[in-house]
Amino acid sequence: MPPPTPINDTGRLNSNVEPDRPSAFRSQSHRATNGTSEPPQAPAKKTTATMSSSDPQSSFAVKAGLAQMLKGGVIMDVVNAEQARLAEEAGACAVMALERVPADIRAQGGVARMSDPAMIQEIMRAVTIPVMAKARIGHLVECQILQAIGVDYIDESEVLTPADPTNHVDKSKFATPFVCGCRNLGEALRRISEGAAMIRTKGEAGTGDVVEAVRHMQTVNAEIARASSASDADLRQMARELECDYALLKECAKLKRLPVVNFAAGGIATPADAALMMQMGCDGVFVGSGIFKSGDAAKRAKAIVQATTHYNDPKVLAEVSIGLGEAMVGINCMSMDEGNKLQKRGW
Amino acid sequence: MTGSPTSTITIGVLALQGAFAEHITLLRQAADDLHRFQIVERDDWRSQSAHADGHADADGDAADANADSGDRRASGSHPIKINSSCASSSTKNGDVTLPLDSDFDSDFDFDLIEVRTPASLARCDGLIIPGGESTSISLIASRTGLLEPLREFVKVQRRPTWGTCAGLILLAESANKSKASGQELIGGLDVRVQRNYFGRQVESFEADLLLPALLGEEGDVFHTVFIRAPVVEAVLTPDSFVGDGDGEGEGEVPLAAPTTDDAVVVAPAKQATKAPVEILGRLPGRAKTIRDQTTNAADLGEDGDIVAVKQGNVFGTAFHPELTGDGRIHAWWLREVVKAVRERQMGP
Repeated sequence: MPPPTPINDTGRLNSNVEPDRPSAFRSQSHRATNGTSEPPQAPAKKTTATMSSSDPQSSFAVKAGLAQMLKGGVIMDVVNAEQARLAEEAGACAVMALERVPADIRAQGGVARMSDPAMIQEIMRAVTIPVMAKARIGHLVECQILQAIGVDYIDESEVLTPADPTNHVDKSKFATPFVCGCRNLGEALRRISEGAAMIRTKGEAGTGDVVEAVRHMQTVNAEIARASSASDADLRQMARELECDYALLKECAKLKRLPVVNFAAGGIATPADAALMMQMGCDGVFVGSGIFKSGDAAKRAKAIVQATTHYNDPKVLAEVSIGLGEAMVGINCMSMDEGNKLQKRGW
Repeated sequence: MTGSPTSTITIGVLALQGAFAEHITLLRQAADDLHRFQIVERDDWRSQSAHADGHADADGDAADANADSGDRRASGSHPIKINSSCASSSTKNGDVTLPLDSDFDSDFDFDLIEVRTPASLARCDGLIIPGGESTSISLIASRTGLLEPLREFVKVQRRPTWGTCAGLILLAESANKSKASGQELIGGLDVRVQRNYFGRQVESFEADLLLPALLGEEGDVFHTVFIRAPVVEAVLTPDSFVGDGDGEGEGEVPLAAPTTDDAVVVAPAKQATKAPVEILGRLPGRAKTIRDQTTNAADLGEDGDIVAVKQGNVFGTAFHPELTGDGRIHAWWLREVVKAVRERQMGP
């Protein structure tokens, strides 16, 4: 499957550099790749300038662009309008609307599905920040419903019970952008080739244990580092090994990062956890059960937001870590039964 | 305070939340595309930006690729020195044809830094407030003790400041459709913006705009990206400050936000400016619905929504030049900053 291509790239300034494949991350890319993703159409002229060559409202650049606006921020799981307002007041850059936070899904078991649209809409009315919602892996109708009610981002999430045993949703067909989980580079690039405009490392949701989030971020970083120093032949071999698209892998190698925004998720429970993930190189953090399963949710939420901005300032981190009350109790991932791990869902 | 009469110009990008790394990359590119600068990186930048994902290139461009991931490993601010090494007027990459003028006669350096603290803001000669979530940026700024220093920077010291999208909202004197409990603004532009004017993310779009005020009459179209974007809904005259735009309000700037259904918020007053609000870019109303390839925004011939404004030292765009890879507006703005610094140094 061809990788997603941002439409109508405009970096006309660098027409003298070598042609290259498009990058959704134009302004962040390496100088040599920057703005070279012009499609082979005639450059726009002053009087006959064209609009985007396809639907201007669903281009990949617009989808990936919202994720870029979320960078450096915290996206919080909320289950009602009251929590959503609390998250917004705390400085969350977006909220994830869902019926049960992962810790409860884990505890209660059963099949976890898309939330009631009425509850998502109530949250959308309650706050002005972007609202995301989760659909089951491969459940394209849940995705259609979420798009129809106008959520800003769809999370095709392993936290819910998968609906398709073999495939993920073809996300390029949707106007609403998607975020998907990954444990490693191959998984991330498979999701991007399906149309995901944002990636999050999976971690282990609902545990409050950051170890799996760290593991997944380390894995992605290490694989990108390996790709960056690989020859073209080795890259092809690596693409087979990772079961991912060669061109996307090559782009990662060149950018030395994923070609879309990458947040950390799954087990972040404290300001220090958030700063740890930021120092490892993620672009922002998702906090699920960690906030509303703790003693003083408002205070903890604010503290995690401050820690994500000032992730490299230990003095600020110390200040915001003081007196947060009870953290969520949590589950130790190391002693967990493999079968209980949500991260295994998705392919 | 910077104010040092040296030839170093410090440009800050507010790095509390949002697409700040993109701005730094494009600022660097803008300077580079003018072909009058050499990137000279400080040693600490290089050593701090090396990290696990294998960044070890020795060439100056390496930092560009790593602007995002590299930045975060360094503490505090991360200066990149860009020296102007020659006074020639040659440009490369044909499309960049900004004329040189006397502002550029002498050598100067650009120091590009991320701003997270009042101390780093105080070093800046110019500031960009990036796209992001305006509520997040405002709350984090307030808790970091940056809101008042920012108002001082923009509205008292009158340093050049540019806001994109969320940044435009924060630089407006008034904004509506804010969150339930309101939102703190920095202010500086006597305009009222409407947040999320076009709607939610599925209403986000791209459009090619002519921006002759910024890029010259002969300038090529600028490809713009609007993401949950605001527009400038009204230019505020001194007696329309109550935020309803009906011109019937008192001449005084209210200190508190009027509570209306539209959740209008206003920025606290500082020193007023006599500079007029200049409208530098408009988006024709139907531009975002154009699906064919033969029409452009200008052909529609409407006045359209205001998407770029300037008032004295403050500049705002509703769209995201930082997402396009096109550094022309950044180049234009850098030149504005140079002029402002020169004027300040000539001073009264």
